[in-house]
Amino acid sequence: MKWIIYIVSTFTLLACATTKQASVQLPGEDPQQTVAPDKNTSSAVISLLEKARDATTQGDYQRAEVLLERTVRIEPRNASLWHYLAKLRLHQARFSEAIGLAQKSNNLARSNNHLKADNWRIIAHSKYQLGDVSGAQAAQAKAKNLGNQ
Amino acid sequence: MARRPTRKRNPKKKASRRVNKARKPAKSSKTSESKKKGKAKKTGKAKKSSKANKSRKAKQSDNPIVNFFKRIPWRRLILAGFLIFVAYTVYLDFVVRGQFEDKRWALPAQVYARPLELYEGLTLKANDFERELNLLNYRYAYDPSEAGMFQRHGNKFKIVTRPFTFWDVKENSQPIEVVFSGDQISSIKNIHNKNEIALLRLDPVLVGGIYPLKKEDRKLVSLDDVPELLPEILVAIEDRKFYDHYGIDPLAIARAFIANIRAGKSVQGGSTITQQLVKNFFLSNERTLWRKFNEVIMAVSLDFHYEKNDIIQAYINEIYLGQDGARAIHGFGLASEYYFAKPIHQLDLNQMATLVALIRGPSYYHPDKHPDRLLARRDRILDGLLEQKVISADLLTRTKALPINIVENRRTGSRQHPAFLNLIKRQLRELYPESKLSSEGLRIFTTMNPVVQLDVEQRVKQRVEKLSKQRGLGKKLQSAVVIANSTSAEVIAMVGDRNPRFAGFNRALDASRPIGSLIKPVVYLAALEQSDKYSWASKIDDKSISLKARDESIWTPMNYDRQSHGSVTLITAMTKSYNQATVRLGLDVGFPAINKTYKNLGGPNDLPAYPAILLGAQNLTPFQVTQLYQTLAANGFRSPLRSIREVLDVDDQPLKRYPIKVKQSIDSDLVNVINSGLIQVTKQGTARSLSNRLPADLHVAGKTGTTNDTRDSWFAGFTGSHVGVVWMGTDENLSTGLTGSSGALKLWGDIFTQINTTGLALEQTDGVDIQWVDPETGLLSKASCSNSLQLAFIDDTAPTESGECQGTRTGSGIRDRFDRTFEWFKRIFR
Repeated sequence: MKWIIYIVSTFTLLACATTKQASVQLPGEDPQQTVAPDKNTSSAVISLLEKARDATTQGDYQRAEVLLERTVRIEPRNASLWHYLAKLRLHQARFSEAIGLAQKSNNLARSNNHLKADNWRIIAHSKYQLGDVSGAQAAQAKAKNLGNQ
Repeated sequence: MARRPTRKRNPKKKASRRVNKARKPAKSSKTSESKKKGKAKKTGKAKKSSKANKSRKAKQSDNPIVNFFKRIPWRRLILAGFLIFVAYTVYLDFVVRGQFEDKRWALPAQVYARPLELYEGLTLKANDFERELNLLNYRYAYDPSEAGMFQRHGNKFKIVTRPFTFWDVKENSQPIEVVFSGDQISSIKNIHNKNEIALLRLDPVLVGGIYPLKKEDRKLVSLDDVPELLPEILVAIEDRKFYDHYGIDPLAIARAFIANIRAGKSVQGGSTITQQLVKNFFLSNERTLWRKFNEVIMAVSLDFHYEKNDIIQAYINEIYLGQDGARAIHGFGLASEYYFAKPIHQLDLNQMATLVALIRGPSYYHPDKHPDRLLARRDRILDGLLEQKVISADLLTRTKALPINIVENRRTGSRQHPAFLNLIKRQLRELYPESKLSSEGLRIFTTMNPVVQLDVEQRVKQRVEKLSKQRGLGKKLQSAVVIANSTSAEVIAMVGDRNPRFAGFNRALDASRPIGSLIKPVVYLAALEQSDKYSWASKIDDKSISLKARDESIWTPMNYDRQSHGSVTLITAMTKSYNQATVRLGLDVGFPAINKTYKNLGGPNDLPAYPAILLGAQNLTPFQVTQLYQTLAANGFRSPLRSIREVLDVDDQPLKRYPIKVKQSIDSDLVNVINSGLIQVTKQGTARSLSNRLPADLHVAGKTGTTNDTRDSWFAGFTGSHVGVVWMGTDENLSTGLTGSSGALKLWGDIFTQINTTGLALEQTDGVDIQWVDPETGLLSKASCSNSLQLAFIDDTAPTESGECQGTRTGSGIRDRFDRTFEWFKRIFR
């Protein structure tokens, strides 16, 4: 499962590079908070995630976008896939889209607090970028709260 | 695939030729100038010799005609004629070069359905899979050996897939084995290396094109893509001396002339390939000497400037080879796909000879209407090839023994799915003008599911015809349908007319009609949002009510059964679609709250604040209604309905994406609550007839809608994966006698029993409490009680008191139905 680390570390590096001024904790900053795909994820989806990882490392976000959208079409109820898409949007600086996708992931995440916390971080960060400081702080608090559970 | 070929040129050679050419007229103009100067000098001398002139005049003949001719300055006239000829030649030459050089064929946009993704565990009927392969023109073969062939043996398919370039990945051709078990794919393997394939994407079905007015369609190929034999055949059959002549072949013209005179009619053409090309490129179809004259000059000019290979490549792309409805098939690239369902480089001798046979007259040699003529012409071509030693005698015999194997069901062109094409054109028109769509060869990847689209079309036709007959509505009854994926909001099928192939008024997008009771979920959702005040178990009054309407008249809405039902629970008022209770509820909730909910669901406008709005006086199109219900189907996550995923340019370069966007616009727990009620509409409410048609475990939510005097019949509903809206009515706004249940719901059921969809699950989330409730009293009940329903409540709002259990439910569907029948009896005899 090396590729998970790849995905996460790539995203993290990029997030750090683009958002130094943010006062909120960045998604995936803590390696403990990394999100693995659900255990039941099919090999079809895994194969696409691998390609999406390659595309991301090559900086080809548009290709990664297409590949990740294919994954959510195949497994629309798989929360982590929406999370990956949300993270990608974050790195494309498409913040309002990132918020929607992170919320979607949260909606499907059920008891996966770990994933939810990461999604709230995406929301917090995006809201900050969109100038909604109080919204960002509230989201950050939710992330912290879930992280402590 | 449709690549604009780069024309190889020899700039040096041409440049030098052009220079020579350019000098000629310059020289001649210089000489004429010097002559003029000479003339001027002569006039000086003229006065001196006027005497001599006079004496010459005296000698002139008396015949005026002779005089006239004698007076004509012949040399000058010839010179002027020559100059005009040269100028005209230069002009034609200019036209030919200019146009040939930037001859950019108008390439229609190609519209593709969504590609089918295959993976283990995919729910798909083997028969639907075979239908998809047929739509893709995969051909049945005992032993599939080349791309585009398949074999089916029960649940096992052997396929050689076609290569295809998508936005993200180029899929290569590979031989695969797909095994189905039940309605699922159980394995996909590569036949050669036996490896399991995790995911495989087939090439997408071409569902249409966006054509210019002339409706020429073609797929450009470069000479490198073309089998070497094809130009050889063309030269051997159409123009033997192609590589030697200068654009025209005077001997061939003479030969044809004599042959035609002998036969008394036109039996032979003397046109070279270059002339044929010129004719197609620049000239009209009229048969005049003037046109022939132009043709000859232009052919020589073309040959002068360009390589033979450029000319034959242009010919291969230009020539007209058939008609597909209004669409004209031009060029061998498209013709090989149209007639043989394969790319040009895969053509064999038999197929090439057949296409060359069509050049002389695609309708005269029409493969369906005149197969004998075509076969005979193909054989003559093959004989000709032997005669010129292009093929061997052995190959000739073997090829002649083959039948002409043209794809039978080959109508892939325009107007197959006009409503859907109309939808994508509208989405694209925001970005590209129509002229660009019909000329740039864009490749448009849509969200259409071609199998579902065809199913929906068929069901619309059948159901509308049946209802028209039953109700004596003739051809007036119309219908429109939109089906979309609920999460991604991708439109997978759309029909806008009772005749789905008719490209006229697209009712799915343009028929804006009162939505009737389809508005009720909006009103109830707005109420349930005030969870401290309302839950499904709350009671409201169904007493009749009179209100001042907009025009100051008194408006008295009535229930469909013209009865008042006293104090009823919210769930009963909604599932039975009580109007009086809904108006009272709506007035209590207030217009601002209802409007807010409506907008959050994706309503396109602000709802005006007058009472009739509460019963659906608002006009919406089926497409707009689908947007409202999509938000409910996707758990409160609204996504704009999409029909296009991406657009590539003619060279497969990414141009534009339409990404999945989601926005949480309604609280998911609340959506869960409203959906639990909408499920009951299909179980025991106005849409309960559905429960007899759908499998018991397939939960469906929805709402019927009927407008005044049964002018509009609506049903909007969704499963766990799809949302669908059906409208029926007439363009003249006539009464049809069809309610939402007796009209639109029937068709909705026809469609959803056919398509592959998953049930809607009620989710037990943190904020939601799912309980069995007696809809009449609003008190808690048990699953085993026959008078109980399962409903969702926002936490801490569910009833706490238990009511009476009236009879027990055995749980079997038959028992359920028995109970329902029994209840009906009870009601009748009460």
